[in-house]
Amino acid sequence: MTARALLTNPLTLAAGAIALLLAIGEALSPGFAQGDQIVRLTTVAAILGIVAAGQNLVILGGREGIDLSVGPMVSLGAVIAGNVMAGQDAAILPAVLAACAVTFAIGLVNGLGVTVIRIPPLVMTLGMTAIIQGGLVVYSQGVPSGNAAPALMAFVNRPLLFGLPGILLVWAVIALALGFVLRCTAFGLGVYAIGANERAAMLVGLPVARIRCLLYGFSGLFAGLAGVCVIGYTGSSFISVGDQYVLTSIIAVVIGGTSLAGGAGGYLGTVLGALALVLLQSVLTTLQLETYGRQMIFGLTLLVLMLLYGRQARLRV
Amino acid sequence: MALLEARGVGKRFGAVVALSDGRLRVEAGEIHALLGANGCGKSTLCKTVAGAVAPDAGTIAIDAEPRRFRGPRDAERAGIALFYQELSLIPQLSVEANLGLGHEPRTRLGFIDRRSLRARARELIALFDGVAGPELTPEALIADLTPDLRQIVEILKVLAREPRLLILDEATAALDGRQAERLFEILRRRKSEGVSTLMISHRLDEVFAVADRITVMRGGATVAELASAETDRDTVVRHMVGETKLRPAAGRRPPAVQAEAGLVVAHVSNPRLRDVSLRVAPGEIIGLGGLQGQGQSAFLQGLFGVLPFSSGAVTLAGEPFMPARPADAIRRGLAYVSGDRGRDAALSGRSIFENLIAAVLVREKRALVRRSALVPRATQHADSLRTKYASLAAAIGTLSGGNQQKVFIARWLATGPRVILLDDPTKGIDLSAKADLLAIMRQLADEGASILIYSSEDAELLEWCDRVAVFNAGRIVAELAENTLDPFHLTRASYGEVA
Repeated sequence: MTARALLTNPLTLAAGAIALLLAIGEALSPGFAQGDQIVRLTTVAAILGIVAAGQNLVILGGREGIDLSVGPMVSLGAVIAGNVMAGQDAAILPAVLAACAVTFAIGLVNGLGVTVIRIPPLVMTLGMTAIIQGGLVVYSQGVPSGNAAPALMAFVNRPLLFGLPGILLVWAVIALALGFVLRCTAFGLGVYAIGANERAAMLVGLPVARIRCLLYGFSGLFAGLAGVCVIGYTGSSFISVGDQYVLTSIIAVVIGGTSLAGGAGGYLGTVLGALALVLLQSVLTTLQLETYGRQMIFGLTLLVLMLLYGRQARLRV
Repeated sequence: MALLEARGVGKRFGAVVALSDGRLRVEAGEIHALLGANGCGKSTLCKTVAGAVAPDAGTIAIDAEPRRFRGPRDAERAGIALFYQELSLIPQLSVEANLGLGHEPRTRLGFIDRRSLRARARELIALFDGVAGPELTPEALIADLTPDLRQIVEILKVLAREPRLLILDEATAALDGRQAERLFEILRRRKSEGVSTLMISHRLDEVFAVADRITVMRGGATVAELASAETDRDTVVRHMVGETKLRPAAGRRPPAVQAEAGLVVAHVSNPRLRDVSLRVAPGEIIGLGGLQGQGQSAFLQGLFGVLPFSSGAVTLAGEPFMPARPADAIRRGLAYVSGDRGRDAALSGRSIFENLIAAVLVREKRALVRRSALVPRATQHADSLRTKYASLAAAIGTLSGGNQQKVFIARWLATGPRVILLDDPTKGIDLSAKADLLAIMRQLADEGASILIYSSEDAELLEWCDRVAVFNAGRIVAELAENTLDPFHLTRASYGEVA
């Protein structure tokens, strides 16, 4: 790789951004880049990273692929898990399965809407957002419901192995599995193929609609799983707990170099993107910036990245 | 005095000379036909006359006055209106809005005068009264209309401009017999009012039924101007073909006599195909000929499961074969190579390796991409076609057009196909790549594959194929072999003349 290619590689840029943010954080508030602090930030990044895994898949699949419903899906996953386990360790497994099954199914509905009825993904998932949010209000009557089991909270917050909490191990397993699926399976090749040129993918016999449907299903599933992690992180759930993940999951994917046009990119970049974004969030908090200020910075980050990467997209061969 | 006189019109697109010496003289009040084989320049000539293409050389005069059109609008003001095949209608708008588009009548306040817009649309639609069906109303949306009605609206849109010269390029393609007859009646009535028509048609019988005079083009130049009453069909075809020396194709074989069952197609139809039957034996190379867009691609795509057949029967090696999607066809040993690489074949931005093995994964129902097994195969097939590439990991777009096409052919060779469908495969590749492609096809046929080629270049079909099935308006009108496999018979059949 030439020096120039290395400098414009999104992975290098994301890694550089992480180093820079760590340095800034340490300068602003000594102790920012210390071990336990980094583990805590990485735990937060893991939840975002799991949501962004689904977002990443949907975006890779192309045809304007995007999933705006990941926010309420995270909330839904948290509420289902919290109510099923209701503070009991024994009910953790059923709770995880229930949360993931429901969100996977809703994701498949998104996929069917996008492929069979050909509703634009933006509209389909926006409509689904409203439906899930409304459903959550009806179900919970607007009050926080469900409690995390102690073992789940320990898994997410306390060291489990090599001083790392269990959620980081889950994230690592997801990253490895996704890397394998995308690089070494026919399904993964199909994901890139439908994103790169849907008609050509159809003409080599790939099941275009089935692949795209599954991508939306997986996006729901990852959001649901992230919801379980959220309730493990905070202890209880409220119905807007997932809202912050819509914009941030998209930004994490874009920082990681996945093209919004589909067909190019990967999950390693998104992992770095999630880390960089959580660091940025933390630095801004250190600067005592209010929520609205952070929102503005996030939005600006996304647009600046589009400006930078948009130029490359046109050169795509 | 001629209404239109074009002389020495030339046009090149890059290195390709589309038109070298276009001559055309249309008198006031006549119906004039423009004929020629594929790629002879007739469409380009029409477009220069209509102001859609600026010529590089030559003069175009209206009423003996030289004109240089800056665009279609300019030509329209001079009284010339060009019919576009379904390209200019806006599907979301109503018939009346489309008919008036850009020429809407205004009220005194400058708003669109809906009442007179509707009245005008009614008047125009009445021209096709009795043959158009009740769905054709001023209020109907274009999107809701059947293809024949859309084509009628397209024709009405041209008539609405009240031009002095109508240019109709394949205007009857989607019309049924009665609708076409009505169009000709309208044209004859306009003729008596001094309006002229320049028509491009894919049917010689149509030409002889309505045209007063005929201009024939060949190889980018006008070669003959004939009065239709003083000539006959064979003379016209001979002008289109010219004095070509017959070059018997190297390695061409007589039609298969073996009883071995290959691909047997019986009476299939799909939206662009009517009642097509064809037998192809293993080892045969069959050409699909005719003017462009007569159903050749629709036939190949039907066999490949892209545009499934709605009726009829197909057997492959004796077994029933009715693919509903490409994967079905691929798993039965079919391959489809398109000439439109960017649209139909290139997984852009992805590696040569991925582009090459995509079809193998489907054919062999592989769930895993095992590089240790697939890289040697990809290399072998890419190398067997002498593809020039730096590394299998390089993006497909780093290759030249010809080398990309080799990758897309290697993609199919890797699946060990029994039937290979080629849809205008030589578009935009150079001569040496074409020669390579021919050699590969011949070799695959010798190894027992059946090959079907559609090419928009007649010379390729004549040179490459053992037999040629000629398409016209979605049907096979002739099958040429041995004595009849020559430019004369091919061109004649292309214009709908049964051999």
